[in-house]
Amino acid sequence: MKADVFVVGDQLVTPLGIGSATNFVQLLDGRTAIKPVADTQLSGHRIHAARIDEQAWLNKISRPQRFTRLEQLFILSLQAMIDEYRIPLDRSTLVLLSTTKGNVALLHRASTAFPPARVHLPVMADELQGYFGFENRFVTISNACISGALAISVARQLLRHHDGYQQAVVIGGDEISRFIVSGFDAFQALADEPCRPFDRDRKGLNLGEAIAGVYLSKTPARDAVRIMGVGSYNDANHISGPSRTGEGLYRSIAEAMREAGAPPLDFISAHGTATRYNDEMESIALQRCGLSAVPVHSLKGYYGHTLGASGLLETVLGIHSLKNNRLIPSKGFMHQGTSQALNIITADHGDTVKTGKQPDAPAQPLRTFLKTASGFGGCNIATVFQKA
Amino acid sequence: MDRHPYFIQSYCIIRNHTIAINGHPYLAVEHTAPLHDFLRAAYRQLGIDYPKFYKMDGLCKAIFIAVELMARASGPFENDTALVFSNYSSSHLSDSKHAQDISDEANPVASPATFVYTLPNIAMGEISIRHQLHSENVFFIFDSYLPEFLVPYSHAMLDDGKASSIISGWTEVTAKRCDVFLYHVGQAGHIPCTVEHMKRLYQGQERK
Amino acid sequence: MSELTQELKAKIITQLNLEDLTVDDLDDNTPLFGDGLGLDSIDALELIVMLDKGYGIKLADPKEGRKVFETIQTMADFIEANRK
Repeated sequence: MKADVFVVGDQLVTPLGIGSATNFVQLLDGRTAIKPVADTQLSGHRIHAARIDEQAWLNKISRPQRFTRLEQLFILSLQAMIDEYRIPLDRSTLVLLSTTKGNVALLHRASTAFPPARVHLPVMADELQGYFGFENRFVTISNACISGALAISVARQLLRHHDGYQQAVVIGGDEISRFIVSGFDAFQALADEPCRPFDRDRKGLNLGEAIAGVYLSKTPARDAVRIMGVGSYNDANHISGPSRTGEGLYRSIAEAMREAGAPPLDFISAHGTATRYNDEMESIALQRCGLSAVPVHSLKGYYGHTLGASGLLETVLGIHSLKNNRLIPSKGFMHQGTSQALNIITADHGDTVKTGKQPDAPAQPLRTFLKTASGFGGCNIATVFQKA
Repeated sequence: MDRHPYFIQSYCIIRNHTIAINGHPYLAVEHTAPLHDFLRAAYRQLGIDYPKFYKMDGLCKAIFIAVELMARASGPFENDTALVFSNYSSSHLSDSKHAQDISDEANPVASPATFVYTLPNIAMGEISIRHQLHSENVFFIFDSYLPEFLVPYSHAMLDDGKASSIISGWTEVTAKRCDVFLYHVGQAGHIPCTVEHMKRLYQGQERK
Repeated sequence: MSELTQELKAKIITQLNLEDLTVDDLDDNTPLFGDGLGLDSIDALELIVMLDKGYGIKLADPKEGRKVFETIQTMADFIEANRK
């Protein structure tokens, strides 16, 4: 019998604030981080995006000038986790770093205080490792938009198969740059309004920034959440377009549920980027899995698409949802807009569960949720989390 | 860690403008030839009709060729053959091209066909499409080829039954250097998949 | 007109990396997508960039692309009608 792996801690740095509890409260208040952004550094035209305000974290780390903006954000987040959970820096702690583009902004920033090699992910990883003095070198994963969710799965496998590792920090992050904005623009994937995941009138995605981390352990702490099952399959269909049949996601969910022992799900935290094809693909995959009736949300309406952080960010908020027994509404959704109808969580939905005032609907403690993610390259992942 | 009964079913090295499959030379071209000419020559020698090849970036092309040769040696792959790749530069070749496109003084325009390759795992998507693999893909970024990590990681996946076999290895392709070492690991074969053997194979010191 | 179609053929071959083809292989009326040339969604986006970069034409509605990019001929007609 292999060791169970638990999520025993988490941390978020987002435009809505530092700390995951802070972020969770803001979501229940219906706040979104997505705003119009007119910044010629990013794009020749105005976009809608969710950016982290530097003022919020300036002076919180030592010698910030030695680190890029993204590295500073990682440091801020890692420091908070190490302090809060007293994480050992020795060989028993594994650190996984997930990012799609890391310091790529250095490629097109005119003058830079950093050597060209800093654009490479191993160099960034070593800088972060050195800052804190972790004994193990970081394990870096760059797997498009499933990077964050995949890193949790990889960490779980490494913990289960190595007696020497007792706990793991999994941290993911990306920043918005001209590099990324121009690319998504070329793909005509950006909405010129706050995004509307799964909605009939959705026009595309917004980009967002976040650093999100979870702390995993083989020992369950109080309030721990168990990783019950994971599935990750490629569509084998197209390098950028989601599969029309949702094949890879369907297989991923089926495998995650099989490994988890097919528990009843209280909600699903979908990828829900608000592009026409992605959301449609997800509705088909969920229908094929017989999960169309399960309450489902996308958190992209609050944070935009935070790329390599998104899977982690949304997992952390899902865990807070479990702990608080409150569902997070899917912001931006108004009308069914996929070929397979979904049970999208709306504000009313959340109130029912929270208050339990309606006699027919007593407050149900939330116990289990499914997190899914899909990305360029045809990759998909699904993970089942349950209160331990 | 090296006790597992897993073996190398085929392996391919693309390095210094030469290609070898299972230790046997397949192609060698002039060292001075540009990377794309070298990879195109390799594609032509394969004698297949797969026009998508021309659309790929250098990283994908090199990986495509290596896996194509491995498929001939130990394929066709089961459709749950997982892909566990790693390199240092991620998708730097395409990253630089995209950064150049959008920094162009006269006409800064991003090319969707370039941007899509600015993710290292796109190569695994290309392989999945070509060989119809519905499987787990992971792309690790390391300082250098790290069999000490990759070998036990693959064994754990096989032990857990998450894949029937795995294509894994090191895929570093830059404008200056092509260093691709991929191997197909599973239940059959003669070379035990151990860290020690995978070090020697990478260095070209062992023949099948 | 035929000058423009020839130019488009050359551009399409280069931009979309259709290395096995030459200008002579392309017919003005071969469908670009589906059973014809077999272009895909990324190629379609690349053609939109080509219109913008090469001819200063921005496709406002992506759905418009389907008709415009049916064949080399439809593309040439569209460019003739819209270029500045």
